[in-house]
Amino acid sequence: MSKPKVGFYWCASCGGCEEAVVDLNEGVLDVVEAVDIVFWPVALDFKRSDVEAMEDGEMAVCFINGAIRNSEQKEMVEILRKKSGLIVAFGSCSHMGGIPGLANLHDKESIFNRVYHTVPTIDNPDGTIPQVETSVCGTTVELPEFWDTVRTLNQVIDVDYYLPGCAPPVNLIVGAVTAILEGKLPEKGAVLAPDKALCDECDRRESKPENLCIDEFKRPYQIIIDEEECLLAQGLLCLGSATRAGCDSICVKGNMPCTGCMGPTSRVNDFGAKALSAMASVANANDEKDVKRIIGGIADPVGSFNKYSLPASYLHRKVRK
Amino acid sequence: MSEQFEPKIVAFFCNWCTYTAADLAGISRMKYAPNVRVVRLMCSGRVDPQFILAAFRDGADGVLIGGCHPGDCHYQEGNYKALRRFHLLKPVLEEMNIEDERFRLEWISASEGDKVQKVINEMVEQITKLGPLDLEPISTPETLDEMLEKEQEIAV
Amino acid sequence: MGKHIIVDPITRLEGHGKIDIILNDDGNVDRAYFQVPELRGFEQFAIGRRAEDLPQITSRICGV
Repeated sequence: MSKPKVGFYWCASCGGCEEAVVDLNEGVLDVVEAVDIVFWPVALDFKRSDVEAMEDGEMAVCFINGAIRNSEQKEMVEILRKKSGLIVAFGSCSHMGGIPGLANLHDKESIFNRVYHTVPTIDNPDGTIPQVETSVCGTTVELPEFWDTVRTLNQVIDVDYYLPGCAPPVNLIVGAVTAILEGKLPEKGAVLAPDKALCDECDRRESKPENLCIDEFKRPYQIIIDEEECLLAQGLLCLGSATRAGCDSICVKGNMPCTGCMGPTSRVNDFGAKALSAMASVANANDEKDVKRIIGGIADPVGSFNKYSLPASYLHRKVRK
Repeated sequence: MSEQFEPKIVAFFCNWCTYTAADLAGISRMKYAPNVRVVRLMCSGRVDPQFILAAFRDGADGVLIGGCHPGDCHYQEGNYKALRRFHLLKPVLEEMNIEDERFRLEWISASEGDKVQKVINEMVEQITKLGPLDLEPISTPETLDEMLEKEQEIAV
Repeated sequence: MGKHIIVDPITRLEGHGKIDIILNDDGNVDRAYFQVPELRGFEQFAIGRRAEDLPQITSRICGV
């Protein structure tokens, strides 16, 4: 019997998701034993033409990481959608837009202006910016069209499952691959991770007070962080109560507040709004002046609550003026 | 455009104070702009920030929250929660280019029908001046190509 | 004009890339272009974020 064919592809991403696959260590041998990898630019030499030559639905599953922010990524994921039975959005960027999604606080014009004209490290005396088509020697050289808006994978193609995390935890990857091989997948559209809040599995949960009240939000440089006490109780902006579990709270174990890369649980649509709500609720003030003082201690709310989720949020991008 | 812009405002009113005040305004025949769609909730503390963002996404030009005055909450402290969320959501909306006037929190007790009238008329006037909130719809695989065409016209 | 060879994508490395090679009539390389289209705009959107977030944000420029 021939082995199921599997593909990996990346879009606007950092390559950390590919590293997460490699983090399977020897486990990757079991994966290769069970499946045939037919497309994986970071590791194997297959070209776009090889993918185009495949039959529709030839791949059993394709794992796609990265946000979608240019025309080439759109074309590739549309091809992969056709050639693949299942599409799994792999990692925060394809799931919710991820850190590249913060570009939705800006637009193409301001990004081009910064990157190609004003950034201190640029040397561009002619003021050249990327052109989609350039005629040269009687032929045309093409660049992808850079979009004004960053999109999640499911805003561009139909997605079957989501593997959350920046990057997805190894045990969840193993779980997903096993579920696919054994045909034990949940309902379409499911996020393949535990459906509970990170606080529920956090080692520090015992020290989280029942009625948490914060008199002042603290920045990490302002305090010596206790290594056992609940980070939110110490005044740090830890989003664990709004974030999905499944990462083994590795950031919190490392004394770093949770910043929400796993996204929300199934009961929440807009992660940033829910995280904002959770943090506002613990502010210990009723008077307008005190509320403003405590809330004012949260720097950069839009970036802090939507660090990985801006394109997936209800507002999804800055309103154009 | 010959047609005058009529803003759509979603108002989340608490059952015990502001909704009753809106009722009073109606019974007392106080005229106010018809641009408001009122959603009755048991408490302003029930207004999840998701509701507000969803209202904007779905076409609201403004969102108004009405609750009991401080100290008067039927559930002791629901309105304080609304106040905290309001002040944290404000800078987020500002960063997303949604003007200050489009999102408002007011304490209106059951007897203040006139305040309902005043606040709504004021808000409608301000938002009419601002014009529609031109929030781009979120694309789906089906609408993407159409949206990209529009995007190309706007972008450099 | 001679042949236009496109290598897309270039593989077994971190990053997105494409190579355009344009040959002249004698079959020699006339022009060659190496593209790295992976612009995301970190230079712009890192501005305004919390300083303590920047180690996390900038490490997503390249995760390898």
